[in-house]
Amino acid sequence: MSHDPVPFQILPALLQWLAVVGIILAISAVTLTVTSLATSGATGPLMIFEQIGGGIHDWLSTAGRRVWALTMLTFREAFRRKTLLVFVVFAILFLFAGWFLADTSPDPSMQIKVLVTFVLRAISWLILPVVLLLSCWGLPEDIRARSLHTVVTKPVYRHEVILGRIFGFSIVGGLVLVTMSVAGYIWILRQVPESAKSRLVARVPVYGALTFKDREGNDAAAGVNTGDEWMFRSYIEGNTKGRAIWDFQHLDQQLPSGAEDLLLESSFQVFRTYKGNIEKGILAQYILVNTDKKIRAALPPFEVHEFRDNVLKVERNLTDEEGKPVDLFNDLIHDGKLRVEVRCLTAAQFLGVARPDLFVRLPDRSFAVSYFKGIFGVGLMMVMIVVLGVTASSFVKGPIATILTLFMLLVGRMARPFFDELTSAQHMGGGVLESIYRIVKHLNPQTPLEDTLPNNIMQWIDSAGLNVMWALKYLFPDFQSFNMSEYVANGFDVPWSAAMLPSIALTVAYVIPWIILAHFSLKLRELEAK
Amino acid sequence: MDNEVVIQTRNLSKVYRDFWGRKKVQALNSLSLEVNRGEVFGLLGPNGSGKTTTLKLLLGLLFPSEGEVSILGKPAVDVTKNQRIGYLPEESYLYRFLNAEETLDFYGRLFNMPAAERRERSRQLIERVGLQHARRRQLKEYSKGMTRRIGLAQALINDPDLILLDEPTSGLDPIGSRDMKDLIQKLKEEGKTVVMCSHLLADVQDVCDRIAILDRGELKVLGKVQDLLKDQGVTQIKTSRLSDDVVKELQAVLARHQAEVLEIDHPTASLEDLFVKTVRESAARPGQRHIPDSPEERPAPAPQPAAKT
Repeated sequence: MSHDPVPFQILPALLQWLAVVGIILAISAVTLTVTSLATSGATGPLMIFEQIGGGIHDWLSTAGRRVWALTMLTFREAFRRKTLLVFVVFAILFLFAGWFLADTSPDPSMQIKVLVTFVLRAISWLILPVVLLLSCWGLPEDIRARSLHTVVTKPVYRHEVILGRIFGFSIVGGLVLVTMSVAGYIWILRQVPESAKSRLVARVPVYGALTFKDREGNDAAAGVNTGDEWMFRSYIEGNTKGRAIWDFQHLDQQLPSGAEDLLLESSFQVFRTYKGNIEKGILAQYILVNTDKKIRAALPPFEVHEFRDNVLKVERNLTDEEGKPVDLFNDLIHDGKLRVEVRCLTAAQFLGVARPDLFVRLPDRSFAVSYFKGIFGVGLMMVMIVVLGVTASSFVKGPIATILTLFMLLVGRMARPFFDELTSAQHMGGGVLESIYRIVKHLNPQTPLEDTLPNNIMQWIDSAGLNVMWALKYLFPDFQSFNMSEYVANGFDVPWSAAMLPSIALTVAYVIPWIILAHFSLKLRELEAK
Repeated sequence: MDNEVVIQTRNLSKVYRDFWGRKKVQALNSLSLEVNRGEVFGLLGPNGSGKTTTLKLLLGLLFPSEGEVSILGKPAVDVTKNQRIGYLPEESYLYRFLNAEETLDFYGRLFNMPAAERRERSRQLIERVGLQHARRRQLKEYSKGMTRRIGLAQALINDPDLILLDEPTSGLDPIGSRDMKDLIQKLKEEGKTVVMCSHLLADVQDVCDRIAILDRGELKVLGKVQDLLKDQGVTQIKTSRLSDDVVKELQAVLARHQAEVLEIDHPTASLEDLFVKTVRESAARPGQRHIPDSPEERPAPAPQPAAKT
């Protein structure tokens, strides 16, 4: 779960996808042309064009009946190879998990979080290895046993074999996933204590844009850095003019018609410069502002406690700072816009805020909807692994395909921040050549290089290398995007634009080139090489 | 038989290389041959002579190192040619978790055949290869002979014009082997072209119109079976049984004409003929057993235990 959900922009993402695919295709084309020239002379590049043309013709000749036959073959194969034994592990896990997970926390929200996280992780960890092994071993085993010979000597195109495998494994995995997720949902409902059942919901937040005012009341880029949290939150000082300001938009389109109140939910943190009465929270206050009409309505102060959420129901009828009655929906929310200023009232204490710490809470959705959206994320990841496994197994044998897929999975899940940092060109000391040059010349990374032609060429090569690296890092999909369990476990609805859409787009973006790669890989290889 | 060329190879060569591209073995060297429509063509040769490599090159499972292949007028890598081809591999590499009906239904779908046609064709083929009793059993429970039969059925699912059979009688008992040869003859009568490779010479001699003999990847002999086997230096006379006097008289006549008599004998049937006759008679008259005629053939009586003293 992103701590700062940002709506997904499909057009920039598409352009970025085209750029990455274009760079990788260009590198592949150059490599292939050079190799074919070296091995086959002038006819080499011609052969490549013929193969590409043949590949396009293959796709145009796809027959649904053949793909379905291969899909059902894969499906039968997986089931008759006792894939369903995974259910036994699942059942054993869930039979005894309740003993260890019940009453793990006195906080009902935490209790729900533990149960939901357990179910979603258990399902992922059981299904993903199974589909990984199935997809990595299916095709090589078919080639080794030569049963594929009797298939490709029929009017079957190689990409139909690939599609049949992918659909077959996805359907098997999908059925197992649906069965497990229904069982898991029922298990959660039975395990959650009766007192916490009301918290089993999917909250729908509307986030605003966050700005700050410093202690003098001037605009500021951020609040105070108390040294407690450096990146995520910044702090506003109590009993000063310092404020955190949220600007919400499009509320008129999102609030239900005929609403009589507005829910503001916050999860602010507290930084205390003196201990005081630790049981007593520090005071904060909301001020609702219509920025166009300059109407301001201060709400009664409330206490903020560490690690606790605050839900405030704002009634429709309020009074402004001059004591005149104002209507929340008619006077304060204007063109769907509402500003909420947050002040800390307790002197010498600090209130920690981040953009998602305050949101307008729309009517809750069913927990089931959120839960199955989380399961959908697992399903998308499963499809990615299936396609990746089948693609890898189209050019290497089962064990190597397994290692390769696992490597891609681990790197894509864990090493993405490292790649981002590496390719951001913000390292001091330049790229590879410049770094070597600096080491040899004993130059500090901070020392600027002289503006000479060799230095410029060196920096230009480094910069080109970084651009290639930037494209190559996308060879590893960001598998973390499919993890929607944090939304579900924390009682939020899984947002469409910030979580569902990007993960669907990510799946499509990777699946298309992988399938094409698998097609050509199987088409151009000899199935009977000794 | 018309002379339309169904298969044509020109200087076809195949070199197997290792991971580093170094030459491992020259499996086929400049093979040029043609197979005409409607004939049964045999590829003969010892193990490792390049028969199976040739078939796999024809099917596009391997790519030639040099030379060209044309099959049914199309390049070997053209998938659409498979619409008219049936292929029985050396081992019946089928999906062992499917039963006979599922197997034929699966391969029928690969030919984009509608459901009703698939059902009817599967029924006919299962009957033709004699597997009605095992139609619902998974192939992993089949004997080798049964697996060959279902393999043959899958090769014929599309009623192909060209049938490629790799060691078709391998693993079959003499009855199955005879059935296979009868079936090949029947396919020939239906106007199909059959290419079979085998190292069982008798099988090839029985059914093939033309043969090619390969050795170490090279074509050594190519021609009609009858022409290749005819020994122009020897004359054979076959008559009904002659008395010893007539035989002596015949020898005298031949001696007058300076002919060397190589052999005068009663012909013997092949062991295959004897086996097939015996099994078919056994099926017609179950319970009949062989009773030894002479005392030598009878088993010796069991030794009596020595008397205790």
